[in-house]
Amino acid sequence: MTLLALYLLALLDGLLCGLRASMGRCAVIRKRGYYQRAAFLGVAGAQIISTLALVALLTVAATSPHRAEVREDLEGAARRMLWVFLPYAFLVLSNLALRLAPSNDIRSATSVFMLGPLTAIRPVVMIVGVFYGIYSSRLVETLLLGMFVLVLMLSLEFALNWRADRWQEREIRQII
Amino acid sequence: MQHDARTLERVKVRKQDVLDAFSRCSNAQAIRAVERLPEQRGFLDEKEIDRHLLRVHWEMQRLAEEFYHGHRVWELLRVVIASIRHAGLRETIRIVDVGCGIGYGIRWLAANVPLHDSSIELVGMDLNGTLINEANRLATLEELPCRFVQGDAFSKEHSGHIFTSTGVIHHFRGGELLRFLGRHEQPETQALFHFDFQPWLLAPVGAWFFHYLRMRTALARHDGVLSAARAHDGRTLTEAAREVLPEFASGIYGAKIWNTPAPRVFHTLIGMRRALVEEFRRQLGRRRSRLGELR
Repeated sequence: MTLLALYLLALLDGLLCGLRASMGRCAVIRKRGYYQRAAFLGVAGAQIISTLALVALLTVAATSPHRAEVREDLEGAARRMLWVFLPYAFLVLSNLALRLAPSNDIRSATSVFMLGPLTAIRPVVMIVGVFYGIYSSRLVETLLLGMFVLVLMLSLEFALNWRADRWQEREIRQII
Repeated sequence: MQHDARTLERVKVRKQDVLDAFSRCSNAQAIRAVERLPEQRGFLDEKEIDRHLLRVHWEMQRLAEEFYHGHRVWELLRVVIASIRHAGLRETIRIVDVGCGIGYGIRWLAANVPLHDSSIELVGMDLNGTLINEANRLATLEELPCRFVQGDAFSKEHSGHIFTSTGVIHHFRGGELLRFLGRHEQPETQALFHFDFQPWLLAPVGAWFFHYLRMRTALARHDGVLSAARAHDGRTLTEAAREVLPEFASGIYGAKIWNTPAPRVFHTLIGMRRALVEEFRRQLGRRRSRLGELR
């Protein structure tokens, strides 16, 4: 259950990273298809990361001489990570939900006061969440796995931005 | 970028001249932004500058989308149009966006407003040919019923019933602001509304934070913050408008959020023929409280 929750949070993060990376790079008015593709790319990126993390986790679990202990330690770390990631996700989702309100002021306020700052602290939340998860772990396997997942999570937005940047450059060079 | 004031032809810009200009006002951030711009034999590379401008304007459109600027323009525009119609004008109402850039406001209206029902014509105007070409390309791509023209928005051939702009008016200061506003006095012009940053204590800090988060290019980050810092307050705008447009009633719309002391990021300078004022107030309905003194 804990792993499933982390997996779903990773997909949600990927979706939002995909959207963020695509914003400000396409100037047409009707962009539903463009954003759908961007969201799909983000989710696909998160899926790749989740798969890599799962493979690493299974490898560690299969090769460790003390499997039961590793499993218990990893579960403990994952549970602790949720204490950081779930409130953050709740804040993001509740502010996105507020954007459904029929008021331009409320919608804009969510950007200025919440979604903007929440975007700014995303890397910090990632680092704090993973470190909070692994700080009381007893096994080096859990520490290494936690660090590996953190690097993957932080690299997702970078990779999506890099790809979107290349696409934008191509577009602009076709225009001018 | 520099244009010949008469022909609107592009003039080559020496990079060192730009750096010197920013050195004189000790603007280190601007110097860093200019230093990164590509050059050819000491002159800014025109093609690369054009590409850079597109990047910056695409980013700026993102902010307009995030703050629902199209909705805000239409919220005011439809009230102004209704007031003009009530006064008896039956011909097609031409709306001119002054300094439209890549024309987000006009294209948003063209994509979202039933133009035939309102009988309006949408025109975006800018002195920059690159941005106008891009605006026309984007409009064609989506088959939007609007057009964009490079030229002087206040010339006789392009004059409109309603003039609007976004983030333009702070570029005019002192006597230039008076001249800019004074040029709205044309026989067919009924109303004007200009959206711009509202200056207040935290505006430069807020603009810095938000542009740092949302913008990717150094130029866009710097320009956004500078615009917030240079914005005119409501009093300056209304006093200038009242001085040079005596036939128009002028005021500020949407300065505060929900009648609280909290300022909106943008406020709007409104001006309209005095005969329209009463109906305009009536048409605003519950939004009437957003309107400051209109005289």
